[in-house]
Amino acid sequence: MELFTLGIGHYTETDVKESARALTGWTVDDDQFQFSAARHDEGDKMILGQEGAFTGDQLVELLLNQPATAKRLGWRICQTFFGENVVGEAELSQLAEGLTSHRLDTNWALKTVLHSELFFSEKNFRSRVMGPVEWIVGSLRALEQCDPPASTLGLADWSERMGQDLFYPPNVGGWNGGRSWLASRTIIARANYAHALAEGKLWHPAQPPSFEALAEKHNPSGRFEAHITWFAKLLLGQASPSFVNEILTAAKDAPPEERLSTAIACLLAHPQSHLG
Amino acid sequence: MTTRRDFLKCTCLVPLAPLVPSLFTQAAHAAQAKPDSRSLVVIQLDGGNDGINTVVPYEDDGYARARSKLRLNPNRLHKLDDSVGLHPSLTGAKSLFDEGQLAIVQGVGYPNPSRSHFRSMRIWHTARFDEEQHDSQGWLGRALDIEKRPGGVPAGENSIYVGDQQTPVALWSRRSNAIALTRADDLVLEGIRMLMPSVPGSDEDTLERFVSRQVLSAYAVAEQFRKQEARQRDKSANYPDTALAERLRLISRLLQSGSHARVYYTIQSGYDTHSAQLYAHSRLLEEFGDALKAFLADLSHAGLSDRVVVFAFSEFGRRVKENDSQGTDHGTAGPVFVAGEGIASGLIGEPPSLTDLEDGDLKIQTDFRRIYATLLDQWLTVPSKDILDSAFRNLNLFKA
Repeated sequence: MELFTLGIGHYTETDVKESARALTGWTVDDDQFQFSAARHDEGDKMILGQEGAFTGDQLVELLLNQPATAKRLGWRICQTFFGENVVGEAELSQLAEGLTSHRLDTNWALKTVLHSELFFSEKNFRSRVMGPVEWIVGSLRALEQCDPPASTLGLADWSERMGQDLFYPPNVGGWNGGRSWLASRTIIARANYAHALAEGKLWHPAQPPSFEALAEKHNPSGRFEAHITWFAKLLLGQASPSFVNEILTAAKDAPPEERLSTAIACLLAHPQSHLG
Repeated sequence: MTTRRDFLKCTCLVPLAPLVPSLFTQAAHAAQAKPDSRSLVVIQLDGGNDGINTVVPYEDDGYARARSKLRLNPNRLHKLDDSVGLHPSLTGAKSLFDEGQLAIVQGVGYPNPSRSHFRSMRIWHTARFDEEQHDSQGWLGRALDIEKRPGGVPAGENSIYVGDQQTPVALWSRRSNAIALTRADDLVLEGIRMLMPSVPGSDEDTLERFVSRQVLSAYAVAEQFRKQEARQRDKSANYPDTALAERLRLISRLLQSGSHARVYYTIQSGYDTHSAQLYAHSRLLEEFGDALKAFLADLSHAGLSDRVVVFAFSEFGRRVKENDSQGTDHGTAGPVFVAGEGIASGLIGEPPSLTDLEDGDLKIQTDFRRIYATLLDQWLTVPSKDILDSAFRNLNLFKA
């Protein structure tokens, strides 16, 4: 009830106890779900203000029909796809009502969200901290460094260092996400990742990536400065001339064949790069 | 209102130069904590530690009646007095008790206990019951914010969380910086040319400002740590080979490096023993007691004993009656451990009765906020009334 349907505040300790009675008889045997009728409490239960001889299935039905469940599901979807302060109470209620009338169809909800003006609005751009996996994969895709692909086990290790140990969330509630992705250790991991990417250490065997080809594709015979500007816009969303100058200065002392990758590492390690 | 353009302003740093912008270096120097400043080390026993089998009321009739499979033999306990004894695995803790460095507060909790891990832990972390406040600052975060610092500028790290989960809410604050690390390596920046962002001038709590500040803080921390490590020789102290001991060892190294953090925090997971409790609980308590003893011994050897107090708690205790899976379910009150050279060893409060119960659970003897108040007023010397929203009578935790 707490995490997966209603959310805290929409049920009481008594509801929990009564629901436990409804669930009696549910068990797992030899990795298969089993219902043991002999162990099921067939008496009347009072759950969320309703009385009945609820079975486990009926309990599930009851929970799914609660408005709080639709609201919480809508909220979780918004947490995933929208940034800070983007979705208001009105929009959330609207989504929750839609979910209720579509029998909690998440496909419908996702379509609605991804086709919405709000999703594409200015205020939804760069309004959330990207989690490790999306930041890692996003960086490689944006830089078109997926062929050959980097070592996925290596990337998973980087993700763990950034705080997202895949398939091992810290507790039943999953990862909190958002701003909590940025702690000292995880920020340093992101900077070290940027360095590893630039040096080609994400691949086995190590191979410095070629960003020149990508740069040329978008800025044929452009000057180095034009390339930097393009990458800054790609990775950070914008690039003022003074900012580009700073990057040029940072990359200036690198050996010529490393100047571009050094610049890109700098961009990836910039705070703005973590926002999506 | 800060624009995105402002946000992109930065200064370029050449790798050989210190990776700390001058602003922060100055602030760090100005806010140098005195060498003898006090620190609090928090060990969170995560999952709901079964207090009844930790500080065992062996003389209470209710014990044998409620616990059959989980009943511990009184002859094997480390008796503390005529009524309670420590779990056999807590040899480390018993040793500290005998050496006059361990206080055990009994029956700790709060009114209307919650049996939800999340809610109860949030209550301990924030010392507040209103859920709206469960996602903002923690009690230690608020304490660090209130502390007067010379120049009023927050220094490098004020609190350090050692572990691989997210920084605990207890440390969340407005102005201080909590850093998180798993291993010492985590703080090493591979020499890369950095663009050091300037933090947009305004005071708004915008996402951009938050991110800039966090990144800046992280790089500053990396630099400080690098300098400290270079100065320090690694003397291997004698720690057991357990995860908790490793983390306490890292905390000890940070303390010995002259870290200015006032609070160190780590979590020992696994106490949610709904089934097959005996072995798991025993192993956890052994890890806890031995790590604690090794840590305090290490600090003593390093001449830091008078600067550190350790506080260990769990979000709730467990039910009096064991369940059918040789385990226990979520309960209410539990013991809290406070250790250190300056601590007055002993049992504080009465052990909660196992027969006079409330709905099958132990009655709360001591509100946890009294422990917080004592630590805030008498150790961290920050007025507890401002942090806990109310005055709580202190306990006699410290030696006179």
